[in-house]
Amino acid sequence: MADESLIKRNKLIIIAVVSGLSGIYLSPYFPALAAIGAIVAVVWGADAIRRVAAYGLGTGVPSIGQLALGMGIVASMFGLAIVGSVPLAGPVVALVTASVFGLITGLFAQHVIKMNIPVMISGMTEIAAAGSLIIVGFGSAAAGSYVFGTFVQNIFSSGIVLVIFWMGAMSILHPFNATLGPDEKQKRTLFLAVSTGAVTMTIIGVAATMILGSAGIITMVIGIVLWLVFYKKFWDEVYKDAASVVGTGLIPKTEA
Amino acid sequence: MVLDLTMSLAVLSLMGVLATIAGALEDLESDVGSQSNPNSQVQLAPQMSFLHRIYNKAISGEPVSNGFSAVVSGIVTVVLLDSNVYAITSIAIGALVGALILGIFATTSFAGRVSSMTRFKQPLYMDIMRYTTPTIIAHNFIMNFCLVALAYIQYAILGHPFSIPFLALIWGIAAGAVGSSVGDVHYGAERQFQNSEFGAGLNTSLSGQIVRKAESGLRNSIDNVWFCAKFGGPATGIGLGLTVVLSNWPTTVIGYNWTAVLVGFGIVVLMAIIHRIVEVNIRNAYGPYKDHNGKEEAAA
Repeated sequence: MADESLIKRNKLIIIAVVSGLSGIYLSPYFPALAAIGAIVAVVWGADAIRRVAAYGLGTGVPSIGQLALGMGIVASMFGLAIVGSVPLAGPVVALVTASVFGLITGLFAQHVIKMNIPVMISGMTEIAAAGSLIIVGFGSAAAGSYVFGTFVQNIFSSGIVLVIFWMGAMSILHPFNATLGPDEKQKRTLFLAVSTGAVTMTIIGVAATMILGSAGIITMVIGIVLWLVFYKKFWDEVYKDAASVVGTGLIPKTEA
Repeated sequence: MVLDLTMSLAVLSLMGVLATIAGALEDLESDVGSQSNPNSQVQLAPQMSFLHRIYNKAISGEPVSNGFSAVVSGIVTVVLLDSNVYAITSIAIGALVGALILGIFATTSFAGRVSSMTRFKQPLYMDIMRYTTPTIIAHNFIMNFCLVALAYIQYAILGHPFSIPFLALIWGIAAGAVGSSVGDVHYGAERQFQNSEFGAGLNTSLSGQIVRKAESGLRNSIDNVWFCAKFGGPATGIGLGLTVVLSNWPTTVIGYNWTAVLVGFGIVVLMAIIHRIVEVNIRNAYGPYKDHNGKEEAAA
């Protein structure tokens, strides 16, 4: 695959970590920002999956997305809970724990299972870290707080955490899975990542109305607007990249 | 809520019916979009120069995508129930939202997959997009409705400790898993390769050479769901419905004790014996099949 990257990996990591964490820290004041930070983390995660899965993972793409959020949720709960009286450190500890989980999983995949994918170790670390930012980001957007007690009380009993887990996994696995093929392009994949992240944000906004009232509606409306913009951008890329987009017609003649 | 035996059995049979409808519609929904196992052939065909007019709905495997639409339906239902909307209205609106979101994911995967195979000259047919996506949404709506209703019955009537989205997610994963293992074969092996011998399975040398012509004109995804609705869909429905009924029946009738466990074990053994008899009979009626060298493969 020709890597005519629209955005370089290191730049994306810095943008995602900074905006993801600052969104989480601002969630008590403006919950929608945490969801926007989580969308940036979705883009990072989708790009990391794209780099790892480009080595021919095929049907493994959905699995790696689920794995990311699985590592992310365990690490996040651990990180938020362990800090006790210093809740400010919670999201950072969660992010670091997730990265360590990812690193260990990557080392296992590379040296024990011997998958022979050069970017496996760094890729798994990035995917797990993105998973943790997605869980804490969307979670604090729904709960209005990243403090463990409030977080668990608000999003566990109503089942919102499952929506975050499952939709978060879909939003990072779908972009590359849906554009899988020899002519996949980073730009189209990442536009789709913003679009799937925005769909997740919209549903999180709907769910947040149970807890936060009007703040949830704001999250939902911003989610819908972001979705409309990036869904359109994705389709523009499809029209540009597809062999042909036709209203209807017969199958073109080939040698088969 | 404590129910007497008659009411318990009534609730159980209602759950079985809901699971049967959900299972049938789940399989048909995956067939309309060519998801899961048949998807690999739809994806592979253009590479083998077999361009086609079939939808390519690559939203991960069936358990994941159906769990996804069910959990979204579940959370929207909970939000509506929380603001005192009637249960049946909440479930219907929740199911609609879940189905619409699955529809959005379906459009992006069809457009995305086709635009990522530019070099094979596969066109993106917008008429297929326009009339197949609503069909996917419609099938998925019914499945979501049944599964969230099932979760609601468990939560509100049977007093299950888990939340509605959690139960809906589990049911979605279960429906997807049953659809993937029971119904897919009917589409993936029998419909896509209708020009090969019945029950012969897919020979590797035939990979990607799917049937692209219909009784009249070119075959599309609506033709496929018409075929699968005759056997694959109903079989999946019976599969999921029986799973729900037979796994709950012993404890409903006998109670939570070791006798119920033994009865459950007996049901599993009985099913295994029935499956073996059916398999041997089918092999005797239709097999043995020839491999690609013309040699006969082993019978049952």
